[in-house]
Amino acid sequence: MSGTAEKVSVTVEALREQIRRLQAAPRKYLAALRTGVETFDELLPGGGLPLGQVVELWGEAASGRTSLALRAVASAHREGRLCAYVDGPGELYPPAAVAAGVDPARLLIVRPKTAEQLAWSAVQLVRSGAFACVVLDLTRGPAGRSEGGVRLSPAEGKRLMDAAGRGGSLLLLLTAPEAPGDGMMRLRTEARGDAGLSVEVVRSRQGGIGSRTLVPWRALYPELTGGECPWGPELLPAEDVTVPELPRERAPREGHRGILGQRPGRDTPMPSLRPNLDAGAALH
Amino acid sequence: MRLGYLHFPRFPVQRKVIELPELAGRPFVLVEEVRGQQRVACASTSALKAGVRPGMTLTAANALESSLRHFPYRPEEEQRALVGIGEMLMALAPGFQLSAPDGLWFDAGAAHLVKGEEGLCAKVLALCSEQGWRGRVVVASEKFTARALARHGARRMDVVPEGEGAQALAPLPLGALEGPEQTAFAALGLTTLGEVAVLPVGAVTARGGAAGMRAHTRCRGGDETPFIAEVLEEVLEERLTLEWPAESLEPLQFALKTVLDRLCGRLGGRRRAAVRLNLTLKLDPSGQAVVPLTLARPTAQAKMLLELTRHRLSDVRLEGPVAGLLLRVEEDCEDRGQQLALGDAPEGDAALEVVLSRLATALGEDSLFMAALEDTHRPEDAYEARAFRPPPMRRGLEGELLQSVEAAEPVPEVLRERPSRMLGSPTTIDVEMTASGELLAARLGGRRRRVMAMVGPERLSGDWWDARPYSRDYYRVHFEGLGPAWVFRDARDGRFYLQGLFD
Repeated sequence: MSGTAEKVSVTVEALREQIRRLQAAPRKYLAALRTGVETFDELLPGGGLPLGQVVELWGEAASGRTSLALRAVASAHREGRLCAYVDGPGELYPPAAVAAGVDPARLLIVRPKTAEQLAWSAVQLVRSGAFACVVLDLTRGPAGRSEGGVRLSPAEGKRLMDAAGRGGSLLLLLTAPEAPGDGMMRLRTEARGDAGLSVEVVRSRQGGIGSRTLVPWRALYPELTGGECPWGPELLPAEDVTVPELPRERAPREGHRGILGQRPGRDTPMPSLRPNLDAGAALH
Repeated sequence: MRLGYLHFPRFPVQRKVIELPELAGRPFVLVEEVRGQQRVACASTSALKAGVRPGMTLTAANALESSLRHFPYRPEEEQRALVGIGEMLMALAPGFQLSAPDGLWFDAGAAHLVKGEEGLCAKVLALCSEQGWRGRVVVASEKFTARALARHGARRMDVVPEGEGAQALAPLPLGALEGPEQTAFAALGLTTLGEVAVLPVGAVTARGGAAGMRAHTRCRGGDETPFIAEVLEEVLEERLTLEWPAESLEPLQFALKTVLDRLCGRLGGRRRAAVRLNLTLKLDPSGQAVVPLTLARPTAQAKMLLELTRHRLSDVRLEGPVAGLLLRVEEDCEDRGQQLALGDAPEGDAALEVVLSRLATALGEDSLFMAALEDTHRPEDAYEARAFRPPPMRRGLEGELLQSVEAAEPVPEVLRERPSRMLGSPTTIDVEMTASGELLAARLGGRRRRVMAMVGPERLSGDWWDARPYSRDYYRVHFEGLGPAWVFRDARDGRFYLQGLFD
């Protein structure tokens, strides 16, 4: 009897301890932001981008960094949280973000005028804790003042890391190949032709260094790669003309095509890149 | 009709202490000018203890208490403060009527919503004490009964049931009549209202006329005076004149807190929330500085506004000390309130406001925005920058357990084909083409990049009715070592431009 009572009291004490710990811990709705791109999420040690940390997406100009970041923002928006985008080069195109599932009313876009303000703005946003995910775009300086990427000083990197830990927000750094940042986790992105983009874990404290995956373009731009090519599998036969003429659409098979033969409105998605790849190679 | 009366003992003194908390417990008086003489209108408790009395000259009061401080008595400011309290009470009562200089009646008809009339009294007092006011409340059926009991009664809160007014008034001293009639009754040797009430009505009317009869009726618990609710001001505005010009933020904070408390009380009473405010600082000796305060999330919380204002003011450079404040609500909206859950921190909103204000100050208002889509085919004009106003956060049960019911707006198909990065202005690129016009390679970023695949064209044209017509053939070109890019050939000059990157 006394044994049972003792067991119960031990359990109760353990539960109390648990409650105390839960109450003491800062409230976090999400531990990791899943981007919804399955192959990418599987690559990450926590099953998603970890909150309270600095994650760096490092790659060439069109290697899918922005799209991956926008997917993370969209996933935070689905939870009703706010996000911010510190847009160094001022290149973010909000209509594409909306297409990626971002709620424009919940995304604060910050476009500082000097490169020095980039890290400072991000520190303020992250430290406030009001934003679940902050994206800091360092691929170029503001308004084209510098051609290369913006390099953070070690002190700024440290400050960003501290702020992310304190605010409990995810900070995503988008960096150019020549100016890597100081992220706690670094993911190298690379466009791999028509197949998609390869993502490799270059630096990570949770392990998994060296693992890589191939994210198909279809996952980021479903409309661009999903459709069938309406012109057939090959490019138009080359005509011998002196004035350079661009490949044009053939005459419409059915329906009205509007003045000058253009496609009516913009309701038809553009065709896939895939069928044209072979034809493109044959050209060279 | 059931009415409540809220009385503030020595209202001007209370107001002064709320505005200048350092005066608490100190001897001070409010003086007014009567026939060229400075006379005491109101004195603090410690001044009264020292023997200072209202009506005394300031010189005499100073002789009694050497450390006495004095401030001018401004009846219009007292009235404004009283209106502020009345509007704040509108969260509990549908209307109020001022009873200058130190009290107001309010409609107690909505008492059933707050646990009866006792509950209403307690709520009214709690609301007042939140802002530092100490008051007394009585609910009764007649205006006179409520007012006399609140001013001269012994209890802090009281409820007089219908028809028991005379009984409740009976022990009050004759002074509660507060009119010239009381001298006549006092001459008869009467001391309480109960003694007046038992006099025969005919005799009182014969001697005192209509005024005597009215006083007699009131003492018997029968006041016919109608309740006329105050008309609310259209413009929500609060002002405060500082006693001496403030040169630092510290003394200004108390004044700001007073003004914000009052303004937020008024907003709360009207169930409104401020969206945009203008804080005008009157400088000494002349000039003024206007500090606009724009909120991302509308609020009527004084604490949050104070934090935001304090932050904004820390960056403002003024040319002289501040002599007065004027805070005006330029834009307001309906306050829907917020449901908090266990463990929720309402400070989250304050953190958002503060960080937005900090960024706006450092980077400029135009550097922060949210995008709103525009219905146009020209790619670079497809969105517009708007002030960042996020929708209110769903909290509590609503946010955690219930699924969102709002249906996501369908995204136009065409947006799915747009690149995630759009260059500020399209840059010309040198291209290599075959004789037949096929794109072979282009020079990008100082390097020759081979074209691996190309799709297009997507012809976008329009605005021919405008000053800036455009006609472009867009191609999606996959460059070697770079990735997919959005390139167009301008029909005007036939050159190729790089406009975006499918990053």
